[in-house]
Amino acid sequence: MDGLTQAMAALLRRSMAAAPADRREWTEAILSEAADVPPGWPRLAWLAGGLRLTVLQAALVRRAGCALAFAAAAAGVAWSAWSGPPGDPAVAINRVDVITVVVILAALPWVIGRTRGQVSAGRPARLVRTGGYVTILALVLVKTAVRRVADAPPNNLGGATAAWTGEVVFLAVMVGYAALILACTARRSPAVPATVAGAVAAGTAIGVMAYALGPLGFPLRFAGPWPARLYDAALAMGVYLAVCAPLAAGLAAAWRNSRSSRAGSGFGPGVRAGVRAGTKPRARAGLGQGALAGLCTGAAAALVVTVLSTATIALLPYDSGLREWGAGHIGHWAPAAGQWGQVLGPGTRAGYVAGNSAFAAGFLLVLLLGPLLGGAFGAWGARAWHVLTRTAQPNASM
Amino acid sequence: MGSRPEFSAQTLSVLAALCEEPSRWRHGYALAKQTGLKSGTLYPILVRLADRGLMEARWQDEQPPGPRRHMYRLTPEGLAAAAEALAAIAAPALAAAPAGIRIRRSPPRHLPAEA
Repeated sequence: MDGLTQAMAALLRRSMAAAPADRREWTEAILSEAADVPPGWPRLAWLAGGLRLTVLQAALVRRAGCALAFAAAAAGVAWSAWSGPPGDPAVAINRVDVITVVVILAALPWVIGRTRGQVSAGRPARLVRTGGYVTILALVLVKTAVRRVADAPPNNLGGATAAWTGEVVFLAVMVGYAALILACTARRSPAVPATVAGAVAAGTAIGVMAYALGPLGFPLRFAGPWPARLYDAALAMGVYLAVCAPLAAGLAAAWRNSRSSRAGSGFGPGVRAGVRAGTKPRARAGLGQGALAGLCTGAAAALVVTVLSTATIALLPYDSGLREWGAGHIGHWAPAAGQWGQVLGPGTRAGYVAGNSAFAAGFLLVLLLGPLLGGAFGAWGARAWHVLTRTAQPNASM
Repeated sequence: MGSRPEFSAQTLSVLAALCEEPSRWRHGYALAKQTGLKSGTLYPILVRLADRGLMEARWQDEQPPGPRRHMYRLTPEGLAAAAEALAAIAAPALAAAPAGIRIRRSPPRHLPAEA
């Protein structure tokens, strides 16, 4: 016991460095008074309480750090989106965009926290939440950069009404994404933390792969027969993986659900309901977990591919090498194909930016459909798992 | 809509302990024994009270035999706030308080008087 107490005292002394300097005296007070506490368990418990205090202090610092980091990132995005000539409709839309998204990201944790609780303990949940927020802010940053060129006169061929309608849809979609990220990483999340982490990792990989196969949202064109064949094979494999990823995530979620049900531990509310109420509700809970896993996979993939592709679109006007590469590899696929000559030549960039604007608007569709398709495939995967296990164990419900 | 209580039950027990002899400096272990709170609960409360300016803290000046001690007592603002909060709890309610609240009317005999 003495050894354990000494080890705890040493740990407490070392952990003091994690607390802010002006808070360390409190831990010192606990350490110095430990000598008064009767040896054995009481002293060990006293020192353990000191460790809790240090962890709390460090967590407070981290929370303040997160708030500061978010404020700095939001200020950076706002500063970037704010620039532009007065009276330019694109600048007005960008400003509304940035302000609304920052307010959404700042206020939603409070709203979701009231029903679902604060962020779940554990690194995966924090990583998913931080990564999600960073990705949304990055999307706003690159989207405003595209809009600054595409929607500024004389390039705003779609008109102000179309631009504002797109903006409203985009903001609604962002609310949905932010709410999904916060709800799935909250303490009372409807999804199992491991399911969310796995689904987001799979979705991120699919998003990166989709970007690599079509950086501007269109399949690439290769001159030689072998590169073209290899690319076609990679494209087919990519489509196959993109469908399989949410299916597999749903299947894994259903498997995890059935395993925890059998063990009686239960992860989420749906799982516990399944344990209590028998096979049918358990299958329904598994289906829900599968749909959520697919939803997270689809959402992560859509968000990642949209950010990367929109960033590439935003870079196009400033990078001649990228422009030439685009003309060589995607020109014949783009709806503005006839305009590429104008883009690369001197004079107007109208056709080029209009084409790019169309690509960017297409990613709004990706953001909308990605989670929906992912959720459907995830539910399908969970259902497949349920059917498979029912076939393997015909008397499971008895 | 009901207003949220300003102090938790545990904080009230600490305030009550500090109120018994407001001018006397108390150390953490004595407060822990008096209130029945563990160090992991007591110290965050003390930190919050100090942050709000309701309690002052200092290290013991003279060094008697034994460990160096961090001492606490209520500030005039803390005393007023504690008196108000404790007065809001009627005597019968205090008697029927949750297990977390253990308020003693006199200092425990086994504790040495502080300077």
